[in-house]
Amino acid sequence: MNALSPTSAVASRALSLPLIAAGLLLFLIIIASLLYGAGPISASEAFMVLAGSGSEEARFVVSELRLPRTIIGLVTGLALGLAGALLQSMTRNPLAEPGLLGVSAGSGFAVALAILFGASTATLTSFVAQLGALAGCALVIAATRVQGLGNDPVRLILAGATLTGLLLALTSMLMLMDQRAADEIRFWITGSIAGKPLSMLQATLPSILAALILIVIVARPLAAMALGEKAAVGLGHHPGRIRFLIVLTVALLVGSATALAGPLIFVGLVVPFIARAFAGPDIRKTLWLCVPVGPAVVLAADVVSRLIAAPAELPLGVVTALIGAPVLLAIVRAGRMPSL
Amino acid sequence: MSSLSNRFHSTLLQTLAAVAVVSVSLSQAVAETRTVESAYGPVQISGQPGRVVTLYEGALDAALAVGANAVGAVITRGGSDVAEYIKSEAGDIAIVGAPAETNIEAVIAAQPDLILAPPRINQQQVALLSRIAPVVASNVPMFQPDSWERETRLFAKAMGREAEAEKVIGQVKERISEVAQVVSAKIPAGQRDAALVRWMPQGPLVMAEGLFSASLLQAVGFELTDKDLVKEGRPHSEPLSLENLSSMDQSWVFLATLNEDGDKALDAARKSPAFARLNAVQNDQVIGVSGQLWTSATGPLAALAILDDIEAAVNAIQP
Amino acid sequence: MPDKRTTLANSSLLVLLLLAVITSLSMGTVQVPPPDVLQALMGNADPMTAFVVNELRLSRVVAGLLSGAALAMAGCLMQTLARNRLATPGIIGIDNAATAFAVASVVGVGLSLAPSAMALAGAACATAIAFGLAGANGTRGYRFIVAGIGIGAIAGAVTQVMLSRVAIDAANAAYPWTVGSLNARSGNSVLVLAIGLAAGYAILMLISRALNTLQFSDAVAIALGTRLKATRILGLALSVLLTGLAVSVCGPVGLIALLAPELARTICRPGKVPLTASALAGATFMVAADLLGRTLFSPLEIPVGIITAIVGSPYLLWILLKPSRRSLT
Repeated sequence: MNALSPTSAVASRALSLPLIAAGLLLFLIIIASLLYGAGPISASEAFMVLAGSGSEEARFVVSELRLPRTIIGLVTGLALGLAGALLQSMTRNPLAEPGLLGVSAGSGFAVALAILFGASTATLTSFVAQLGALAGCALVIAATRVQGLGNDPVRLILAGATLTGLLLALTSMLMLMDQRAADEIRFWITGSIAGKPLSMLQATLPSILAALILIVIVARPLAAMALGEKAAVGLGHHPGRIRFLIVLTVALLVGSATALAGPLIFVGLVVPFIARAFAGPDIRKTLWLCVPVGPAVVLAADVVSRLIAAPAELPLGVVTALIGAPVLLAIVRAGRMPSL
Repeated sequence: MSSLSNRFHSTLLQTLAAVAVVSVSLSQAVAETRTVESAYGPVQISGQPGRVVTLYEGALDAALAVGANAVGAVITRGGSDVAEYIKSEAGDIAIVGAPAETNIEAVIAAQPDLILAPPRINQQQVALLSRIAPVVASNVPMFQPDSWERETRLFAKAMGREAEAEKVIGQVKERISEVAQVVSAKIPAGQRDAALVRWMPQGPLVMAEGLFSASLLQAVGFELTDKDLVKEGRPHSEPLSLENLSSMDQSWVFLATLNEDGDKALDAARKSPAFARLNAVQNDQVIGVSGQLWTSATGPLAALAILDDIEAAVNAIQP
Repeated sequence: MPDKRTTLANSSLLVLLLLAVITSLSMGTVQVPPPDVLQALMGNADPMTAFVVNELRLSRVVAGLLSGAALAMAGCLMQTLARNRLATPGIIGIDNAATAFAVASVVGVGLSLAPSAMALAGAACATAIAFGLAGANGTRGYRFIVAGIGIGAIAGAVTQVMLSRVAIDAANAAYPWTVGSLNARSGNSVLVLAIGLAAGYAILMLISRALNTLQFSDAVAIALGTRLKATRILGLALSVLLTGLAVSVCGPVGLIALLAPELARTICRPGKVPLTASALAGATFMVAADLLGRTLFSPLEIPVGIITAIVGSPYLLWILLKPSRRSLT
């Protein structure tokens, strides 16, 4: 991710195997996402479309329904995976997850508020979601710094859980005020990428690109900060400024993801966990691995959500929670907290 | 002599009139105490209750249809007042709660002589409410084609206005055959299959066959089936995947929202490419309807309103 | 040993509580002047007034009082045990699990027990699972809390899916259980709560000295003669029990467990664990919030959980963001 140097060449070699494997896996999952669905178009019919032929209906399903959905799932997974990795590295807390820390809840609350006021244009929702994510982020970070919670992961989680609980209660309040909005919010807040138009993606693309650029900028200083603040300062970085940039990046990423798919919890936890398992403690390698792993996780969950409850679909947010929480518990049970 | 007999005649007439008046009012005051079968057992009611509180939209509809004095109602699902279609009939009625939560104190404040309750009300609430006035909870199974009729008769019996109920039900039945004729005139047989759905971004909710408005559609000649997608006792299905829209290949689609203007539902649905592929959409045979009326209301007045909607929609079809 | 400041604080809170109770009994869609309220309580009023005060309002106020006190005490305990003012039993997923079970009962999934009983069962399940997963390290540290978060998340997701797939009528009926409301309580659960609260309070008074020492580091506490592990386990068990019982009455009103002890800590002498003050403050909050919810938009009711969220959020944010100077961070 940074300029070529001997160390980074070595690092890349060690990384290339997991990276290729993950990339391959992602490719397979993308194919699966195009082949499988909750409707009458079977995998073989969909395959024929990919091969160039196929019935008109099959072509419609694959190109107008599954393809946009796959793309949106890709972007969502990418955003959440990267955001989780950044947050965990910055707070030095393997449990720091945008969903658990109230960032997703903040985003969700903001969007619910917007739905209440009748907003439905893609751009507005995306902007509002990002604003909400930024607010949630800022609050949690502020809380931890003020309370001197720096090194205790538990305390950060508590602050985040409190904030999440608060925001969810407020969102419930919104649902009380307007039943029409309540109905929409009720469906939206479980998290889903079904039926989302590509125009929504267009609205979030600028933010995602900006975030990616920011990641390139902060990756190296972030890696330095893992050595300790003093060391980082010694190397010529400004931790305060870097933290601000990271918060901004996380907000952009989580905001975009929430605008696309609603609040999804646990993705930002599971993806970096997997990535770190193969990449080790270097944040840069972790970030690279999150790129294929994030979308893979989200798309895999989405495929599952289509197949489990046909002809209806289980919302994506439920599947990620049902997958993610046992992963979390397994981490706890095994007693392995990957070091940062 | 004639003045004496005149006076006698007039006195006799006055006495007869007085006796008539007294006996009529006596008969009303000492009216039969009848037993009404409610969901929580038999309820004794006498005479025509003067003030009726309704905890259920169907009950309000029935009460107003038979001319009773409805003094309390709950807000419609998804709104902040009684449903649009019944607002003018209801006038300035007191609100005593929401469908899920009755404000018992507000019921007390309305000083009811009779309380009409929905089928799903729980026992605890009924016990509390019975201390205020007799409570008749509907024991009619829901989502059957004749549910509304049986309910109207039940509530009318409670209110002592069975004759009026029969009249109103007869009115509705007449209207049904009128509209059925319009339908058969305008729409050729074989093209009358229809679907009644509510559109969510993730996909459509198919309404149950036995839903009030659905059964009315069928009564006027449309062929409606929920294709077994709706479970027993539920008003609608779960949201179908967008990939399954090909199974919604009916000629006609009636599209509703939870409570708002049907046209808004139409606009929202049109944003989905899958929607545009529906047969009905391509033939411009999608009709937006008000969700408040079509998916939430039930009762004789609602029936008349829905039938008006259907007639207007069918009449607007270009031949 | 009660000291002056604590006694003063407790007495003021008690007075406040009584005021709230009387106001709540007299206000509503049917206004009953306070003197008539007292008459009704003693049995000397006309049937309708007596009905309104004694049957409709009194049972609700009592339920609010008891559950508020229980939640506050549980919160205070948990914060002492975890040495963190943000700790509540909700952290280990009790609230979410109770909600999930209760909602399941309301919408007709699974066992057909009453929602209150199911809520209690949910709380018990969550605790058992959290304990089981936390393993030997018990109540301190990571694993317990992380396990709780996981359980809470699963329960939350399950609740969401249930709510989004049932008809809107059932979702509306289940709604009070998701935000916390005093409308759906059952007489039995209130009785059980009362018993549990009384017993819990008695036990806690007995071990209050030990609890006070928990504020210091483990080493100091042991040096002062406290049986650390026993105290911790007992404290945790009581905290969970009280919360479970309270949630089965009023649903997940989580903020009380954070706000009431915080208020108590502010007005009482620092250095002691303000159990009584917390209980009184919690009771008052609950009764007051319910009163507001009943009367603000009459005849429509706002559930008590939402009122506490609206009113409590600014205060909570302030707690989160202001630097702490107390020994209990």
